[in-house]
This record gives sequence, C-alpha cells and structure tokens, in this order.
Amino acid sequence: MTQAPPHGFWQRMQQIPRYYIYALLAGVVIWQLLFPIRLPIAPSRATLGVRDAIRNVPEDKIVIISVDWDASTQPETGPQTQAIIEACFQLKKRFAIMNLAAPMGVKLANDIALRVARRYNAKYGVDWCNWGYKVGQGNFLMAVAKNIPKAVATDFYNKPVSELPMMRGVENISSIGLVVEVTGLAGMTELWLGLIQGPYGTPFASAYTAVMAPGYYPYLDSGQMKGMLVGAKGAAEMETLVNRPGSAVAIMNVQSWAHLLIIVLIVIGNVAYFMGRRRPGEGRR
Amino acid sequence: MNPQLWILSAGAIATVLRGLTAALRDPQLWILWAGAIATLGVYTILYRENPVSRFFEHIFVGLSAGYLLVATWAFNLEGRWWDPMIHERRWYWIFAPVVGFLFYFIYSRRLSWLARLVMGLFFGAGAGTFFREFFPLYSPQLYASFKPLRPDAQVGWAAVILHNWLFVIVLLTVLSYFFFALPHEGRAGRNLGRAALLGRWFMMIAFGAMFGNTVMARISLFIGRMRFLLKDWLGSFIPWLAHRGM
Repeated sequence: MTQAPPHGFWQRMQQIPRYYIYALLAGVVIWQLLFPIRLPIAPSRATLGVRDAIRNVPEDKIVIISVDWDASTQPETGPQTQAIIEACFQLKKRFAIMNLAAPMGVKLANDIALRVARRYNAKYGVDWCNWGYKVGQGNFLMAVAKNIPKAVATDFYNKPVSELPMMRGVENISSIGLVVEVTGLAGMTELWLGLIQGPYGTPFASAYTAVMAPGYYPYLDSGQMKGMLVGAKGAAEMETLVNRPGSAVAIMNVQSWAHLLIIVLIVIGNVAYFMGRRRPGEGRR
Repeated sequence: MNPQLWILSAGAIATVLRGLTAALRDPQLWILWAGAIATLGVYTILYRENPVSRFFEHIFVGLSAGYLLVATWAFNLEGRWWDPMIHERRWYWIFAPVVGFLFYFIYSRRLSWLARLVMGLFFGAGAGTFFREFFPLYSPQLYASFKPLRPDAQVGWAAVILHNWLFVIVLLTVLSYFFFALPHEGRAGRNLGRAALLGRWFMMIAFGAMFGNTVMARISLFIGRMRFLLKDWLGSFIPWLAHRGM
C-alpha cells in the first residue's frame, strides 16, 4: 500500500528524508573542522584519576599499556593511546605496549609511540618497549603474573625482551606499577581485573570507546579502577592535561556542535509528534 | 547548466586530477588515496546497499583476518614454537599442532570423540579461568554497594549523602524489578510493583545515557574519517586545507 504524501508542517517535520539529516550532519562537521569555534574542555575526575595513577607509579616499576583496539575505533582509541603515552614520557615513567586481541592495534600504537618518543628523545628499550601481540588472553595474563620474560619472550621486533635495558629487574607482576587498558572490545577489562588487579592488587586504569564506557562505571565506583578515559572526550581531556591538544581536542570541538544538531533534531521530532497528535487524523497512524 | 557551475566543476576536477598525478609519483601518497577511496566507497552505503560498499567492506574483513594470521605467526608461533623446535632441537614441540589438529575430527562421525577430547580440555581450562576470575572481579562491587547512609561529617557531606541514598534506592528498586517470585498483588505485592516500576524508570534513564554515549562514539568515528578526508587526503593537494586548525 502506498503511503499518503505528508501534509501539514508538523507531519513533514516528522518525515524529513534521512539524506537531508546526513547532509546536515556532514555540513556541521565540515564547517567546524574548517572554521572551528573552540569550546572549553574541563578534565573530569575519571580522567584526572588516569593521570594521577600514572604519576603515582614508583620509579622502579613499569607501566603496561594494553592496546586492544584496531583501525575500526582509531579516532577514539588512537588519541587516547597517544595522550597516555605523552603522560608517561612527561612524567618519566617507563612503559611497555602489549596487545591481547585485535593485533592491528600493536602496530598502530607502535607508530604513535615512535612519533611521540622523538619529541622527548626517548629511546626504544630504555624508556619504552613493545611486547607485541600475545595470544592466550587469560592464560597469558596468568603467565605474565608469574614470569614476565618467559611469558613475553620476544618483543615487537622479534628480539628477546630480557635483552632490553628497561626490562632488567622486571621479573613478575610485582614489577608492574600500573596497567592501562585501551580498548574498544568488551571482555578485556574483566580479564585484567579478575586475573591481575584483584588477586595481586596491581593498580588498573582504562580508556574505552564511548559506546562501551557506561558499562564500566561500576568498576570505577568500586575503586577497582583508578581512572577512566571515556571516548574522544576522555582523550581530549587527557590531551588538555598533558598540554598537547591534538586530534581529540579537534574532534571534541566538532562533536559538541554535532551533538547540538542532534539535540535540535530530537526536539523537532518530538514537538512534531505531539503537535501532530493534537490534530485528529494527521499525526496518528 | 549555469556557466559559473561549469567553471567551478572544471576547477574541482582539475584539482583532483592534479592530486592524482602527484600521488602517482609518490608511493607514500598511494596509501592516502587508497584510504580515501575506501572511505568514500564504504560511505556509499548511506545512499543504499550497493556492491561498491560491499567490496570495500570485504577488503577490510579480509585485511583484518590476514593481519591476524601474520601477527599470530610473527609475534607468537615463530618465537615460541618454531624457533625452539628447529634451532634449539626441542623436537617434542611437533606434537603441539598434532593436538590442535584433533579439532578437525569433528567432521568424522567415527572419530569425533578425538575432537571432544581437546574441546573438553578447553572447556575445563575456560571454566577454571572464569571461576578464578569471577570472585576478584565481582566481590569488590558487592562490598562497594554497602554505602553509609549517615556518613561522618566531611567536606561535601551533603553531596555524599545524596549520592549514597540515590545509589541505594536505585540498587534496591532495580533489583526489585528482577524479583519474579512474588506476584504484584496484595499489599506487599503492590508495593513491590511500585518499586519495580521505579526501578524500570531508573533503567530507562540509564539506557538513555548509554544511547547518548553510543551516538557520541559513532559521531567520533565519522568526524575522524572526515578529518582524514579533509586534512590528510584533500590537504595533500590543497595546502589550505592541510593548514586549517583541525
């Protein structure tokens, strides 16, 4: 049965073709990318928690940055990883990148670390290293807790990790001062919390894509997590904290305007729905 | 067509062709162009389902699967299995893939019990790991749900009281929504029904917040791609775009 063409202003408002909405959204995004109107970014408590957790890592311990993300979430997780690496270099904390799932992330994070390391004159193997992608997930974590050189064996460049200067004295989980999980995958945090943070008390912080972050607030509230970066917003806040506004700050600025457009569209849709209902025979189907 | 539009279109085509010619000379730019074409190809789905979008989708899935295979070999099997077996003469490692290949006996009716052996091993290991993981993961949340409703005076005391009361009310009402043993009849049942209704409202608010975050995530990805198209790709042959503050 063919649908009758919309008549009346409010009914037309309820049936805006989706192409117009796509075009409007693209228009707002392009406008704000080319001619940005900057909005303030204030770091939240969850973001401050991540920065403080990195700051509180003792000198003799290292940070693990588990980068379980790939190209499909890069606009959020890429800047998060970069901001965390910036914080580690600024606060002079040695770190190891590793990956339990989505192995593309370990290459993408390696590129980010190489780029950032140049700015701080940081050396691979001395200030940071990359353990590469490791299979086994939970089993691998249990092995890491007991014997890191044996469990990790070789790094991203296929060199034995025990030969890296920064790995001297890094024996087991007691040598780890903080784990930061950057991910767009559900299930990874549960592994870290259940097998490492819970049994050994290793501090844990995280960075998630915005879509999965709400499910992890209870862990923040219970104190199992020291802090959490939420999507591009968390990355932008972290970039602001480390004084390196980059792609996340640019994205968040555009994002705020895009959200404004969506809010306006939701209001129009709802007002149109209720106005349509008020006129018998027009709004109801 | 309007002559001004002709001039504008010709100018745009000339600019893109200039970029393409430059890309042909510089292999680094090939990557940019491949990324831009793949992005635009995938976005054709916004118009309707079409073979171009499907083509690029399949390329992405294929690339990811291929990369996983290479990464599994390069970061794990080569160093931990192949090298010890070949160079350190740990010949017994040859039995590891033999055990792995037992999975394929699932296709044989007569010998499928061999596949069940390794599956049982995996189920047992998985269950054991989950059991070990469960209590350290969830027990701290159980303790954290016991919040003082009359906390000692401190800075931000009113906010703490409000937070704790709200937490406990939401926790109890949402739990009551999932309590199915008592029908919502009689005095106690009706009160439970009211609490469950309130719990449902709280859950709806939470789902709204989650949906808001989903919108935020999707738009972030879209902005990321637009930034790539404008700054990295178009910016490679229109310098003005490369120098915009994005």
